Amino acid sequence: MLSRVAESLFWMSRYFERAENTARFLDVNFNLLLDLNKITHIENPSYWVALILVTSDKERFNSLYDEYSARTVTDYLVFNKSNPNSITSCIGLARENARSIIESISSEMWEQVNNLYHYLQNVTPQFVQNDPYGFYKEIKNASHLFQGITDNTFSHNEGWDFIQIAKYLERTDNIARLIDVKYHMLLSEAQSQPELVAGSEDIIQWMAVLKSCSALEAFRKVYLSKIDPDNILRFLILDRTFPRSINFSVCAAEDALWRISGSSRHRYVNNADRLIGKLEAELSYTAIEDIFSKGLHHYLEDLEQRLVKVGEQVHLTYFAYHTPEIESSDIEEALPFTGIAGGRANWSQAQQHQQQQ
Amino acid sequence: MIRCFERYEAETSQFFDEVISKEGTPRSHYDKMLQRFGQFSADDIKARREIVNIFFRNQGITFTVYGEEEGVERLFPFDLIPRVLPANEWQTIERGLTQRITALNTFLHDIYHGQKILKDKVIPAELILGSQHFRREFVGVNPPLGIYIHVTGSDIIRDGEGNYLVLEDNLRTPSGVSYMLQNRQAMKRAFPVLFDKYKIRPIENYPQELLRTLQEIGPVSRRDPNVVVLTPGIYNSAYFEHSFLARQMGVELTEGKDLVVNNNKVYTRTTRGLERVDVVYRRVDDAFLDPLVFRPDSKLGVAGIVNAYRKGNVTLANAIGCGVADDKVIYSFVPEIIKYYLGEDPILENVPTWLASNPSDLKYILANLDKLVVKAANESGGYGMLIGPESTIEQQENFAEMIVANPRNYIAQPTISLSRHPSFFNDTELFGCHIDLRPYVLYGKTITIVPGGLTRVALKRGSLVVNSSQGGGSKDTWVVDE
Repeated sequence: MLSRVAESLFWMSRYFERAENTARFLDVNFNLLLDLNKITHIENPSYWVALILVTSDKERFNSLYDEYSARTVTDYLVFNKSNPNSITSCIGLARENARSIIESISSEMWEQVNNLYHYLQNVTPQFVQNDPYGFYKEIKNASHLFQGITDNTFSHNEGWDFIQIAKYLERTDNIARLIDVKYHMLLSEAQSQPELVAGSEDIIQWMAVLKSCSALEAFRKVYLSKIDPDNILRFLILDRTFPRSINFSVCAAEDALWRISGSSRHRYVNNADRLIGKLEAELSYTAIEDIFSKGLHHYLEDLEQRLVKVGEQVHLTYFAYHTPEIESSDIEEALPFTGIAGGRANWSQAQQHQQQQ
Repeated sequence: MIRCFERYEAETSQFFDEVISKEGTPRSHYDKMLQRFGQFSADDIKARREIVNIFFRNQGITFTVYGEEEGVERLFPFDLIPRVLPANEWQTIERGLTQRITALNTFLHDIYHGQKILKDKVIPAELILGSQHFRREFVGVNPPLGIYIHVTGSDIIRDGEGNYLVLEDNLRTPSGVSYMLQNRQAMKRAFPVLFDKYKIRPIENYPQELLRTLQEIGPVSRRDPNVVVLTPGIYNSAYFEHSFLARQMGVELTEGKDLVVNNNKVYTRTTRGLERVDVVYRRVDDAFLDPLVFRPDSKLGVAGIVNAYRKGNVTLANAIGCGVADDKVIYSFVPEIIKYYLGEDPILENVPTWLASNPSDLKYILANLDKLVVKAANESGGYGMLIGPESTIEQQENFAEMIVANPRNYIAQPTISLSRHPSFFNDTELFGCHIDLRPYVLYGKTITIVPGGLTRVALKRGSLVVNSSQGGGSKDTWVVDE
């Protein structure tokens, strides 16, 4: 497979997953306000600032808006084109990547990316405000549909594995950020240890975290109704069977990487395999108490940085093959929450505009 | 004629109408189509338009118009009424193009080898040697099978009497074939019943034929050659087509940065290392192909690919330097070229052409700027053109200056009223719109032309410019056996 094609598959998948996660954050926040009967306080900034923290975008946000409110945060995360992580930008970039490899993906996959792109072009802020639930459901469903289509119309070979790696790396990163931010918020509110953060409002907040990962029902099947932060964190970080847990996602990324390289347990072929294998092994033998003793925030931050390193190694191993002269500039672009398509977009556009016969 | 055709005005006294004869009756090969369209109400047409639009949009079939603010992509305008070509007329076109392309290929081989035709003074040597598309570096290079122009698309028009004439030869990287294929798919979806009424020759095998041609021209030493398509990138206006053809052929679509030359051999960079490439169907102009040989600032090309080509380690389709034969000045010599190499009369005539480089022609051109169409010899896509009757005095004076300054670069032709074909402007009313035809010719071990081609239609009332870059559209083209 061409390195460029692999790279575009990777980013197409990654941006799509990012758009879905952003939709989940927003959706849950609206629901949370309803649950808390605080819909009248919908403009209360403290409920919205967290969403900006999740995406590590505080500075850019502050340069564009002067308040945290339902309106500004929704605008920034859904529509804003100067925010490369807004849903509109992500789907635009996913589509741009898909477009550059349109001959490699199935036409059904292209149609799905393209459909969502055109849908988003016609959505207005008013529409989202009137029916946030409907809108975010549309985005989530579109993402699920894309994954289903990919599963069923695209050969499960190397290219598919790159799609999986991207999806699960992105998902892991997003879950980690979500937990980190929620924990941070609750902690600063309660000024206490997670075991103690268990007032009824806090329970509702933690339930919201589960919901944003579609994890509430799965969680209940394991822990019944014992909704306490310990169990929730144990579930979201360490559960091996739930597809939106960190452990599951890391395992899935590892499987895909190993399928590509032929690595196996105890025998790695390249650094990407080594790093993901190490991460997976540690997760498998970690108890939630270990995480607490290390400090949750510290643990998650470390995890996020290690995911970045895996991404870098995937880039070096597969996308930058035999191209030492372009490696340095491309690595920077391949880091999470920046993305390569912005760079590609300007790439010698003028010359491509050759006259056609 | 009922419903949508009842108000159609063919104006046959002024134009050759493809559907309605001078006597005002429909031509027989259009009978079934008129019958079928006659049964449609405005709502039927609208519903079919919707099917077609959804098809095109979902396929991502868009075209980029440079210099426009709004977005980079637009749907390629498509007209619902198909053009019908009877088999006997198609046969003339097919024979004429085969003859023409054979002669032009022989001409290119001669120009890049013995230059007999120049020594015999059939064509003034300075016209060739001074052409910006003449690549002297390739004199003596032998492409496999001696073929230079593997994929071509000549533009054919009909004059007032309905004679088929060649308007220009596109021997470098003709585009549009994907629209020909997609138009057919769209029509099949929207008008299944009408398809059943005609025996329409299929065109769906074009990608296989293209692949076969490209494999046939691979380096002699390489069995089972690895073919790739080379595109300038996703911002090129024909990008959709490049990716479409790669997908249909099942080969890799590459950009310049996907290819690397090592030891005069071309490779693709893959996730598993380098893979040898034997044939490059390149949709990148000569000038951008290799920064070491042509424009050093090119980011679209592959450094070293030209040397690999000269060594015979890779075949480029089309070969480098073909532009010298589709120059609009050389065009005027094609009838002589056919006679010189094949000893035959041309089956398809040229449009009469005056050369500004010829002093008596120049005088005539300058005196008749308001009546003639003036074209820059090396431009394509409808750029750099003056349409006399539609131009202002100022534009004419502008052109006069440019022509005098660089006569080699200009030709003039009479304003030919291209034939007209009823077309929907807005799905409610039919107008006669000017059309041309671009069949695609494949040249490997044999010459193959899939029946039909792309009929381009000038969807502006009265406009004669059919180029997609100038807002033209297209329609499906049916070669039918009675």
